Amino acid sequence: MKARDNPFSVERLHAVRYRTAEATFDEILRRLDEMNYRAAIVGPEGSGKTTLLANVQDALAQKGLKTWMFFVNDTAPLTAPACRQFLTEVAPDEIVLLDGADAVGRSSWSLLRRRTANHAAGLVITSHRPGLLPTLVKCATTPALLAEIVDELKPPGRALAPDLLDDLYQRHAGNLRDCLRELYDLYAAEA
Amino acid sequence: MDTLSIALHEDKIAFAPCQTVEGTIRWSLQTNPEHLEFSLFWYTAGKGTRDVGVVETARFDNPGACGSKEFAFPLPDGPYSFSGKLISLIWALELTCKPGSETARREITLSPTGREIVLSEVSSAGGSSWNAKGSGRNPLEGILGSHR
Repeated sequence: MKARDNPFSVERLHAVRYRTAEATFDEILRRLDEMNYRAAIVGPEGSGKTTLLANVQDALAQKGLKTWMFFVNDTAPLTAPACRQFLTEVAPDEIVLLDGADAVGRSSWSLLRRRTANHAAGLVITSHRPGLLPTLVKCATTPALLAEIVDELKPPGRALAPDLLDDLYQRHAGNLRDCLRELYDLYAAEA
Repeated sequence: MDTLSIALHEDKIAFAPCQTVEGTIRWSLQTNPEHLEFSLFWYTAGKGTRDVGVVETARFDNPGACGSKEFAFPLPDGPYSFSGKLISLIWALELTCKPGSETARREITLSPTGREIVLSEVSSAGGSSWNAKGSGRNPLEGILGSHR
């Protein structure tokens, strides 16, 4: 199968919205507002943190709020000079959305946390562990959630054996991103 | 209802490098838009992060609620339209209006042959778990086959 036709291509995955049984998206937004836009989305790899952060960004933009999203990971670290530079550019009416707060060094994190408290409209982060900021949502996955997402993405009329998804879920320890990447490969290998 | 459309001259959708893509954009909107934006670009689709290259953008300020305009964008000599199993490169024209979420889009092909280049021979190099384990068999084949 060509990449452009693959039902599990990145652009199709990005169109999947965050879903949780814990709260509705509106409830999450209301809670975020109550938390003065200083909160953490917490969860393991592939549990939907980045998806939720992106959905939050869209929702805030629709409300007319300004955001500045940036991504940090081991290959794109936030150095202390870059952090200081970034903080000089953030406007007081902007909400900073930081994906990957775990990868921010201690001094940069301390600076970010302090500066955004007074010089930005908020700081919403994703993190693998709780404690960096008050927790907004704890992301978690289930085999049923994987099945629901796969059902949304796969071509209509093409059933998958339930044991395939259970197997994927187990092997990837609940990391839905990795499950969906493997499904991409499975479809890519089709003639 | 808001309508945006892109018509290509003689319905031609395949182009050789450095040819010119020509046509007409039309818009019929319920309110006067601030501006229309019309772009020629390519993007990648597939397993990895999307890459985009914008080649031309034309902006029309205060175009009125209804109208049409002819366009002619010279194409560059590449990159070619292609598809493998891990990545496809797709050329497109897109018309958007602001404010509003209405969008019109037409895909075109840019290649010396006029057809998308298919990279079927190099596709499995990315490796997936069953390949990595060396079984060589795609477990989806049997599963999909029995459930179609």
